Amino acid sequence: MHIHLHSLMIHYARLFGNTRFLGTLILMLVFSLFQLANAKPASAMLTARANHDHITIDFFYHGSSVSVKGESDPNVDLVIKLTSPEGHQVLKQKGKVAGLLWMNVGQLKFENTPNFYAVYSTKKLDEMLSKEEQEKYVIGYPALAKHVEVTPVANEEEKAKWFDEFVKYKEESRVYTSSFGKIETKMNAQGQQEYFILTDWPYQAAPGDYVVAVYAVKNGKVVEQAESKVNVEQVGVVKTLATMAKNSAAFYGLLSIGIALGAGFGVGLVFRKGGGSH
Amino acid sequence: MYLYLPVALTSINILIPVGLGLVVGLLSGLFGVGGGFLMTPLLIMFGIPSTVAAATDSNQIVAASTSGTYAHWKVGNVDFKMGLYLLVGGFIGGIVGVQVIKVLHAMGNADFVIKMTYVFMLGIVGVYMFIESLQSMRKKKTAVVEKKKEEKESAVGKFLKSLPLQTRFEKSGITHSILVPIVLGGFVGVLAAIMGVGGGFLMVPIMVYMLRMPMHVVVGTSLFQILFTCIEVTFLQAYTNHSVDFVLAVLLLLGSTIGAQAGAVMGRKLKAEQLKILLAGIVLVVTVKIIFELTLSPSLLLSQAGGH
Repeated sequence: MHIHLHSLMIHYARLFGNTRFLGTLILMLVFSLFQLANAKPASAMLTARANHDHITIDFFYHGSSVSVKGESDPNVDLVIKLTSPEGHQVLKQKGKVAGLLWMNVGQLKFENTPNFYAVYSTKKLDEMLSKEEQEKYVIGYPALAKHVEVTPVANEEEKAKWFDEFVKYKEESRVYTSSFGKIETKMNAQGQQEYFILTDWPYQAAPGDYVVAVYAVKNGKVVEQAESKVNVEQVGVVKTLATMAKNSAAFYGLLSIGIALGAGFGVGLVFRKGGGSH
Repeated sequence: MYLYLPVALTSINILIPVGLGLVVGLLSGLFGVGGGFLMTPLLIMFGIPSTVAAATDSNQIVAASTSGTYAHWKVGNVDFKMGLYLLVGGFIGGIVGVQVIKVLHAMGNADFVIKMTYVFMLGIVGVYMFIESLQSMRKKKTAVVEKKKEEKESAVGKFLKSLPLQTRFEKSGITHSILVPIVLGGFVGVLAAIMGVGGGFLMVPIMVYMLRMPMHVVVGTSLFQILFTCIEVTFLQAYTNHSVDFVLAVLLLLGSTIGAQAGAVMGRKLKAEQLKILLAGIVLVVTVKIIFELTLSPSLLLSQAGGH
């Protein structure tokens, strides 16, 4: 935003001729505007806040909700993107064998893919953001498709097909979504645009750190960016068990077996008294 | 009410695993099968990752088969001696089976071989048991002479009698060479390892038709044998794959331990032929289900890859 303002000033300076007086005047003006901006950062800056930035998973966790809100310049479109860090995922690939039977025919590796990917925008992405910008900021499935590497595939067509299947698979487990029109916006008394979105946070989203990125879009380009974070963490007994399963695997295995044996015998004893004797 | 599963990393309505446990536990106590061929796909259907579903099911079977073995043992229907020999065979077979899988994977058509083995085994066992038990039900009704059947047996019977190390299995009332259960147990072990199942649905017919054990002793002995196999599998899964979900297992065993008791009680009220024909029916239904899965276009072409 500042850069835009600055270039505007230079533009005006050129219009009025490059006199020293005008230059000083403009510098003063810019300076005072800067001060104004610093005093009230919201007036020229995009802000983003996630209300629920620490989600805790206990025994009764069944998903949550995350709302993102903030202020932006008026007359900009907005994109809100929630993602987990990128990694690689290996999935089994089904195909037809002998032209008749569906079964797993191999594995596909998807690289540079987030486990979680949610994009919300004020308008249809193609109507507000140029293809180049979508790809630059990895906004939307087509952009993600370009970003992701799929191996082994023979050609682009096959890659596109398997990426579509990948999105389908992810949407099925509710960790991928892309939609527009869910972001609410309104103008506040200071003439800024306030935005707000409430999203369901699926219980399928694994523990970890998530990035909430908000993009202000004007004339098909991203003009501003703001970030926030959401952390999802297991707590209490859930955390203890998950950690034990990983770090004390032998003990965890023996404990699981012990409990199962105990439960089996216990129920057997109860039933003996209960009258199972024929 | 929903509970979060720390290893499966998902949330589930507790009525689902408890209910599934009850039904599968009932089948377990009734027929002497672990029920993995039913439980694992059902768990996957309810959103449990496939690796966790298989591993946790084996943990749950430890509880169900303990409960079931105990119930059958109380009425003297477990042949421990036979069970031990089958276990020895099964253990060796399991090691061989894992090597076979490695070779299949290296050849690149593992899944095809596994699926085909599964369908054919289920199909053959189901059809054979169904026809046989139907025939024996009719025979009983009309009281036709059983001499013909005895003649058929004698060829195989003579061969089995000629083997060394003959020993008496008191509980089952039969005499066999100890090599017979070891070899048959080994055979089931190989197939079970290849198919990734417990093998109860194979073990039961083998005990009935090849070892000629009485059906009610078969159920108890099979459960005893499954118990040990599943203890081993649970430990290996927990230790190497970290895929046993303790919470899910507890929910499942709440239902399955009780189901197994109920199954054992119900089983005593049913005749051997009735038990056999019911089991045959279930095996055939599962076969048809797998055939449908193989031929109908799946809604998703990608799925979670097993292991790590």
